[in-house]
Amino acid sequence: MDRRKFLGVGLAAFAAIVAPGTDLMAIDFRATKPEAWEVEKTVDGIKALYGNAGLKKSDDLQFKAPKLAENGGSIPITVKSSLDLESIALFQDANPRCLSCVFSVPKGAIIEYDFRIKMRQTAVVTVVGKGRDGTLYTASKEIDVSIGGCGG
Amino acid sequence: MGKMKIKAKEKSGIVKVKAMFTSLMADKEEAIKKGIKASYIKYIVAKVNDVVVYEVSMSGFMSENPLLKFKFKGKKGDKIVFTTIDNEGKEQTGKKKIK
Repeated sequence: MDRRKFLGVGLAAFAAIVAPGTDLMAIDFRATKPEAWEVEKTVDGIKALYGNAGLKKSDDLQFKAPKLAENGGSIPITVKSSLDLESIALFQDANPRCLSCVFSVPKGAIIEYDFRIKMRQTAVVTVVGKGRDGTLYTASKEIDVSIGGCGG
Repeated sequence: MGKMKIKAKEKSGIVKVKAMFTSLMADKEEAIKKGIKASYIKYIVAKVNDVVVYEVSMSGFMSENPLLKFKFKGKKGDKIVFTTIDNEGKEQTGKKKIK
């Protein structure tokens, strides 16, 4: 087989393997909202991801985070909510791009997510949850970082 | 990419899962600073019996070797299957029986 053809066949085969993999995702936010992952400011990030809908502060959306993080490379965060949410996103202003992670919540799931993030400096962290009816809920907190993570 | 460590335990109908993934989680800026290639997991999904129980898209600003904890309604004996996709599109799967 000639080399050029071989490469072509290989590429086609690769595409065939990858394609069925893609529909196992309900929503891959990296693919559907690529612009949201590139912006720097939280406000713009929320707009890019969820549009211009108004944000509502809610006590039912809570997140736990240390007030003072000694190590910015690993800040434990726990997001909890009793609301019926469709997705939850975490934004921060510390890093070159504001979006840290987006959870898409399966129906009837228990919302209690525990994970760790990196922050380069002291900044406000905002959690935004989108309800199934489209309402946006938000909660935010400032986290002091004494040693920046993220290589900073 | 490295391995995955998964722990899943059931108690009165609720399964608690702890999962650790090995990844440098280095985004562009950090990679340049350290002189390495950007490498991070961008997508993780967990399924039980082909039903999605956990799904997250992330950027490189999660901590190194991300540790995730979550809960869902499930039962013993089922298998939980994790699939991760990194920034280069490499897929990896890991399975674990729920105890």
